[in-house]
Amino acid sequence: MPRDAGAEPVDPGSAVVPASLDPSPAGERGRPARLADDEHVLVRGLWRAVDVFRWLALAYATWAVWGRHGEIARLGGAVAVLAVLAAWTAVQTLRPMRTVRAYTVELVIGCSAILATRLVDDPEVITGGAKTIPSIWPTAAVVGFAVLRGWRGGLAAASLVAATSFVEVVQPTANTISNSIFGLLLGGCIGYCVDLARASHEALAEAMRLDAARNERDRLARTVHDGVLQTLAFINRRAAELGGEAARLGAMAGEQETILRTLVSQTDLAEVGRAVSGDADLRVLLRHVERAGVQLVAPADAVLLPRRVADEVVAAVEAALDNVRQHAGESARAWVLLDDDGKDVAVTIRDSGRGVPAGRLDEAVGQGRLGVSSSIRGRLADLGGSASITSGPAGGTTVELRIPNRRTNRRPTRHHGDEPDTRPSRRGTP
Amino acid sequence: MHQDGSTPPEHISVVVADDHPMWRDAVARDLVDAGFEVLATADDGRSALARTRATTPDVLVLDLNLPGLSGAEVCAALAQAGVPTRILILSASGDHQDVLDAVKAGALGYLVKSAGREEFLAAVRATAAGEPVFTAGLAGLVLGEFRRVKAAGGGTPERPVPELTDRETEILKYVATGMGYKEIAATLFLSHRTVQNHVQNIFGKLQMHNRVELARFAMERGLDLADPTSPA
Repeated sequence: MPRDAGAEPVDPGSAVVPASLDPSPAGERGRPARLADDEHVLVRGLWRAVDVFRWLALAYATWAVWGRHGEIARLGGAVAVLAVLAAWTAVQTLRPMRTVRAYTVELVIGCSAILATRLVDDPEVITGGAKTIPSIWPTAAVVGFAVLRGWRGGLAAASLVAATSFVEVVQPTANTISNSIFGLLLGGCIGYCVDLARASHEALAEAMRLDAARNERDRLARTVHDGVLQTLAFINRRAAELGGEAARLGAMAGEQETILRTLVSQTDLAEVGRAVSGDADLRVLLRHVERAGVQLVAPADAVLLPRRVADEVVAAVEAALDNVRQHAGESARAWVLLDDDGKDVAVTIRDSGRGVPAGRLDEAVGQGRLGVSSSIRGRLADLGGSASITSGPAGGTTVELRIPNRRTNRRPTRHHGDEPDTRPSRRGTP
Repeated sequence: MHQDGSTPPEHISVVVADDHPMWRDAVARDLVDAGFEVLATADDGRSALARTRATTPDVLVLDLNLPGLSGAEVCAALAQAGVPTRILILSASGDHQDVLDAVKAGALGYLVKSAGREEFLAAVRATAAGEPVFTAGLAGLVLGEFRRVKAAGGGTPERPVPELTDRETEILKYVATGMGYKEIAATLFLSHRTVQNHVQNIFGKLQMHNRVELARFAMERGLDLADPTSPA
């Protein structure tokens, strides 16, 4: 169990380094040196497997030496090598160290043991295809590096073991080559799996973090809603009745209430999905136009347009509201209505102001003062839509923007928006 | 005292349900001052339901976000029980899905809490008279709901979803851009009464949309009413 894995980086070759002085025994930035509790379950499983494998490999190496003890020139040397391997295996079992330093030591021990075969065996025996003394024991170090450093680490360690084997045999045998390939595959594959596991673990952690952030925002929104908004509305209401100075204070409270209400109602996570899909929700894009005297009126479902189109529409709405500010008088109120009737997306901007005298817009165009007309009609014409500007009998101007909705027969879904062109292919996978 | 100078209201009885004590008391006091009879107050959804059923007031002034039962759930349960009380929704949270749900469930009107005192009293009177209290925001939501149902393919052949007439759509869009009934009547050369009838028809069709759903909902309370798009 890696219960204190890496917590006490013990360096067998030198003095024990206190953990506090060596927080990063792995020696690489950007990756957690301590593979501790938050490590992916797959990685933890692999570490346990490595610990078990090391013992099995030791048993196999011992059995192999026993099986061919007759042909070993210096049997004492072979036993000594096995003893070193057993000692390290025992150390890694009693006190598992999952650090680059520990596995470097293990790799050095493994490679040295391979080279030591040269000392205990006669060259003819080695050339004849005899196993090395450690046999598959160094593979544990290869897997260890794969877990520590991903596929690169696994391949590097496997290459080192393979190179050592080639040096040891001098004349490569079929066994040497196949074992080396096997080692490279093992190191690369396990390393790759670990990379994937880490990436998915990080993605999961990020998703959980986002979820927690959203929950926190929802909680705040509820609190604000239940307390602050109600109180501000109450102050606004009572103060208006008291009049005078209190009325002004109340109006301030009222303004803040409106702002807060808009803020805490922004809880649509699906916006993120739409942002990714390339569609934009006009309700969201036009939220900023809402202020004292301007109300955005929208359906409960998203009003989706391709991002580029939506940006143009927003610009046209801003131009129309700007016009309201300039011409309809300070006290004028304005409403922006979003309506998607399936064929067109219509945006209606109506104000309660004085209205545009008939012919005044055309007059403005004639005089070269394009203003509203050009900026609104031009933008809409570019989008294949239209804009009409009318003045009602009750006063006030109504600007209606119509944008053809190319997503005909769309089914309104609240949770994601599709790119119109890719719809058919994605139909079956909501 | 009738500060608004209007005629004294004919006897109108009211139950006020709001979990915010300060707000609840202020609303009740305003109503009493203006000559309404406040039969009871409630601070959560269950007591709102129980007291409304017990006293059957003319109007229930209902906060949308009550503990226990949501505003929409209270409306649905009252409709299911056949209580004739008319419901005016008061909400601090603006125009959203939950408002639409409450109106579909049978609430007759909706007002944001930031509305002024006179506006509120007028809304209670209108609700008592059976006239829908519409805000521009609610009109936008209702219009969107009709669009959504239509785009989703309407109802079943046996039970077609009622659609808005062109005139009703026109009126709804006018309401949604802040026009009052009087202004709309002037623009369309209609009588005030005709405009009101259209608006009442719009409400009737909206509530017809999900009457069946609601009956089922009231029985299996706990269903997610917030998502009417699910076939349930």
